[in-house]
Amino acid sequence: MNLGKRSAGAALLAAVLLTAATGCSNKAQDNSSSGSGGGGDVQTDIGVEGKTIKLGVLTDLTAVFAALGKDLTNANTLYWKDHKVCDTYTVDLDVQDTGYVPQTGVQLYSGMKDSILAMQQTIGSPINTALAPAYEADKVVNFPSAWSKTLTEIPGTGVVGATYDVEISNGYDYLFQQGLLKEGDTVGHIYFEGEYGANGLAGSKAVAEEKNLKIIEAQIKSTDQDMSAQVTQFKAAGVKAIALTVAPGQLASVAAVAQAQGLDVPILGNNPVFAPGLLAGPTAQWLKTHLYVASPVSSFDDHADLLKSYKEAYPDVTPSLGVLVGYGMATMMNQVLDAACDNGDLTHAGVLDAFNNLKDVDTGGLVVPIRGFEKGKSPSLESFVLQPADAPGGAKVLADAFEGEFAAKIAG
Amino acid sequence: MTQFLSLLLNGVSLGAIYALIALGFVIIFKASEVVSFTQGSLLLLGAYTIARLSHPLGFWLAALAGIVVTALAALLVERLIINRLRGAPVISLAIVTIGVDIILLTELIRRIGSDILNVPHPWGGRSFRIGDVGISQNRLIAILVAGVLIAIFFAAFKYSSWGVAMRASAEDGETAALMGIRLGRVSALAWVVAGALAAVAALFLVGAPTPGVSPSVYSVSLRAFPAAILGGLDSTGGALVGGLLIGITESLAAGYQDQLLFLGRGFGDVVPYVVMIIVLLVRPSGLFGTKELTRV
Repeated sequence: MNLGKRSAGAALLAAVLLTAATGCSNKAQDNSSSGSGGGGDVQTDIGVEGKTIKLGVLTDLTAVFAALGKDLTNANTLYWKDHKVCDTYTVDLDVQDTGYVPQTGVQLYSGMKDSILAMQQTIGSPINTALAPAYEADKVVNFPSAWSKTLTEIPGTGVVGATYDVEISNGYDYLFQQGLLKEGDTVGHIYFEGEYGANGLAGSKAVAEEKNLKIIEAQIKSTDQDMSAQVTQFKAAGVKAIALTVAPGQLASVAAVAQAQGLDVPILGNNPVFAPGLLAGPTAQWLKTHLYVASPVSSFDDHADLLKSYKEAYPDVTPSLGVLVGYGMATMMNQVLDAACDNGDLTHAGVLDAFNNLKDVDTGGLVVPIRGFEKGKSPSLESFVLQPADAPGGAKVLADAFEGEFAAKIAG
Repeated sequence: MTQFLSLLLNGVSLGAIYALIALGFVIIFKASEVVSFTQGSLLLLGAYTIARLSHPLGFWLAALAGIVVTALAALLVERLIINRLRGAPVISLAIVTIGVDIILLTELIRRIGSDILNVPHPWGGRSFRIGDVGISQNRLIAILVAGVLIAIFFAAFKYSSWGVAMRASAEDGETAALMGIRLGRVSALAWVVAGALAAVAALFLVGAPTPGVSPSVYSVSLRAFPAAILGGLDSTGGALVGGLLIGITESLAAGYQDQLLFLGRGFGDVVPYVVMIIVLLVRPSGLFGTKELTRV
């Protein structure tokens, strides 16, 4: 009996080894084949079949970021329906749902990596971080929908705008310009523990150093919902503004408590704090007059055509500003692939090379101008400033993309 | 002083909501000696149902429907699972409730997604102010409702035949059954009540100053759990005192974060558990819990 088990185990092991060996040899063949893409003298490897390029999408269609994931993915799809690479190649998306679980993301990527040229979208800092070693090893160009500074350390990963620290510093600059904040004022900053919060707080601290601000820090968990204690503390300290690097739920609570306690100060947020759903809540009016969101994307005001075609294609969805991010990241990918194609090299290495050499990316005002993707540096120095309003996407533009006083120093 | 009073009032209101959830733990434990981990997902189910039904039915009907649906869901869990496993070790039943909790929670999170569902409370975001100290009307009503409900249950346990039956079945199920107490019915009723209490707590949890319904509502139950334990898992009064103790210390720890920096950032989050451990070290059965006597 024991012997039987052992021999079965040995057979299984042999089978696994054999499969692994075959897999390796297949991959080696893939890598060595070139020039067979059918694009004239353009060199290709994995992810280009005839006149079709395949890009991967690891998104969230069922978990906490499902609404954002759908908007991004729909916008990606809409973009590639109307655009080609080099006027030659059509683009197919391999859309997979990670459910916002890093382990699932890693599995799905290993399933798709032998058929894709690059990643059009990867949602979520934890998943991007989990996949970083694989993306680096496979020379994959990827656009995340997060703006943490750590993501700029991953080769080939293109953060779509300014990192959180630069972003919020531009928000501060706007408050100073408008006379809403003065040198030497006290500011309360509520932030999530972890990379997102730490990066936003770093922005506040950098500005504080320049402008002699006093920052009162309040670290919370993403599951904390009641901001009463934090706002009470801020009120007692006499803050002149509240900065937030949190999620929409906490913003709603901050607004409710500030309103209840009569703490009539501006609220400045990193872009993830805002969601159009807040405008249906009891704090809508307060938010429309007190909230300033520093954002890498514009509002639908300037992109009525995109909104129209999006609504035609997806009539059942209420579009958020995620549509602009999704369309913007697809525009950037198009420019990267066009450049690679022009160089005659649509291999993974060729695409990564084109990505690294990309300078001054303009997406027609969808996303802030990108200066280039350099390791460890914020890809952009600019941000829009938005305010909630009864408009599609729930926001209007207060300030067009601009580079604030502190941006260059923080961005590195 | 204003800061202290504001934080204190906020702590009391938060504690009142914790107490309602903790009471649910207590009632189920008293009836069946099962520690139920399903309160979190029942809480979220109540919140979700109220939010979803608010538009077609209006607030009051939706609130009622939310309470009924949550109570029925709790009853289903009891009838379909807990009741059939009667006689199984108490620890297995507790683990089973964790399983039920995860299943229900996963489905609810999928349905809620990244939206914040708003509940149109008639009192909205209005606040009540005494001098410089302000509290949302929502929280003030929560304190009153929690106080009344807890008083009712306190009386019910002591004087009603249901309360006596429940105490008897918790004390010694076999003897209680021989005395003609129908254990199944006592247990079923306890689950229904615990479900309804979770929905009432949810009703106030999704109003000002907290945002509407999001998956994070679930995490509140994890703080009510230490409240129930430190109060004494079989004591109604303990649930109230435990809830208030946790609510107030949590509020003060978060509000005086800067003064407590030597304990590290985010200390407010761990306070419920620190308080629980300290209380249990001093009084292993909780503040008001019944001491287990074992003669050797």
